[in-house]
Amino acid sequence: MDTIFLFDLDSTVTKQEILPTIAKKIGKQNEMRELTEKTMMGILPFQDSFTSRVKLLSQIPVSEVADLVSDIEVNEEIVEFLKENRESSFIVTSNLDVWIEKLMHKIGMDGRYYCSKAKVEDDRIVKIENILEKESVQSELTSRAKIVAIGDGSNDFDMIRKADIGISFGGVRDIAPSLIDVSDYSIYNETKLRKFLTAIKNGEYQNEQ
Amino acid sequence: MNNKTVIISCAGMGTRLGAGIPKALIDIDGEPLIIHTLKMLDKIEDVRVVVGYQAEKVIEVVKKYRDDVLFVYNHNYQQNGTGASVSLAKRYSKKFILTIDGDLLIHPDDMKEILASEQEFVGVCEPSTDDPVLVGVKDGKVTNFYEKNGPYEWTGITMLEAKKITPTDGHVLKLVEQVLPMDFKIIREKEIDTPNDYKNAIIWVQNNYNS
Repeated sequence: MDTIFLFDLDSTVTKQEILPTIAKKIGKQNEMRELTEKTMMGILPFQDSFTSRVKLLSQIPVSEVADLVSDIEVNEEIVEFLKENRESSFIVTSNLDVWIEKLMHKIGMDGRYYCSKAKVEDDRIVKIENILEKESVQSELTSRAKIVAIGDGSNDFDMIRKADIGISFGGVRDIAPSLIDVSDYSIYNETKLRKFLTAIKNGEYQNEQ
Repeated sequence: MNNKTVIISCAGMGTRLGAGIPKALIDIDGEPLIIHTLKMLDKIEDVRVVVGYQAEKVIEVVKKYRDDVLFVYNHNYQQNGTGASVSLAKRYSKKFILTIDGDLLIHPDDMKEILASEQEFVGVCEPSTDDPVLVGVKDGKVTNFYEKNGPYEWTGITMLEAKKITPTDGHVLKLVEQVLPMDFKIIREKEIDTPNDYKNAIIWVQNNYNS
């Protein structure tokens, strides 16, 4: 059976949290931090929080944000895995298409990601057109593939819960407490994550059951 | 050594000890029990710790010592047994699985020998606990468990070829029974079930594992 890997982007593939890092550049880190923490903990509904966070950053030209995002440090071992397994991997993020395109290109994932969508005029965001619900990705992938999902935040809850193999990754920041209840595994080291995923992919370990 | 997945089962509640923490975290001579075990496993690449009861606490302690452990969740630990924990942890495992109950303290020399072993075995000891599971032995092999006058006690340590066993929800013995008869190894260990076991384990460690 084919295996498909779904990766959260923020503090799973990246080594820093994307929106807070950008907020820092314009001195809005405190507001951003508060919103992000509340969202990770699951006490602020994700859609509301995301809209507020985008608003906070909307004064910066889109092209500038895209540059900042593409400079964000990534987990090299995970990016290596993505490169080796590009045809069976997707990034699944609520972040905006116009902000992450450049980063996706840089890590070799052009066309291999699901994300939220924004409307841009004169290099500014004028409207969020769609906020991605991560669990919708699984229903879109209609094949009989085995789904492996990897994430760390409360917005990864359904993606991890519905996956055949749900992995919460704590290599960058603490895993959201809610994820513990739905994960099959937790991994805290990116080398370990890469090894385990590679073993699942190649069937080099025995015993799928 | 890298054809082995080591599985430490720490999902259960260990109510008889009455400590209010998972038994794997109980302090033995200044260090949590599971750290004593992990220190003997430094050379093993694939170490898995099965967590359930107070999972976050166990994870916190383990990853402070080594962060490349695979944590496996047994979410139904209140209903199922150690066999379920091992069944979950053996998915995507290497050729052999070495299963260790989280409430065991094993003699370091014996652990070395266990890790060097390239074949299946059941770990046994001289009968020592109040309520032992005794094993039946015939022609130098373990043939069954719960043998009334069996010469040895089951320890909670076993090495199995992972592909030979089918998952179970019950006791880990349900997994081992599938592949009997099997060789056995006599292992020096202390199982920590009761306050008295706990006291004895500490003395054992303080005496450099001489009993």
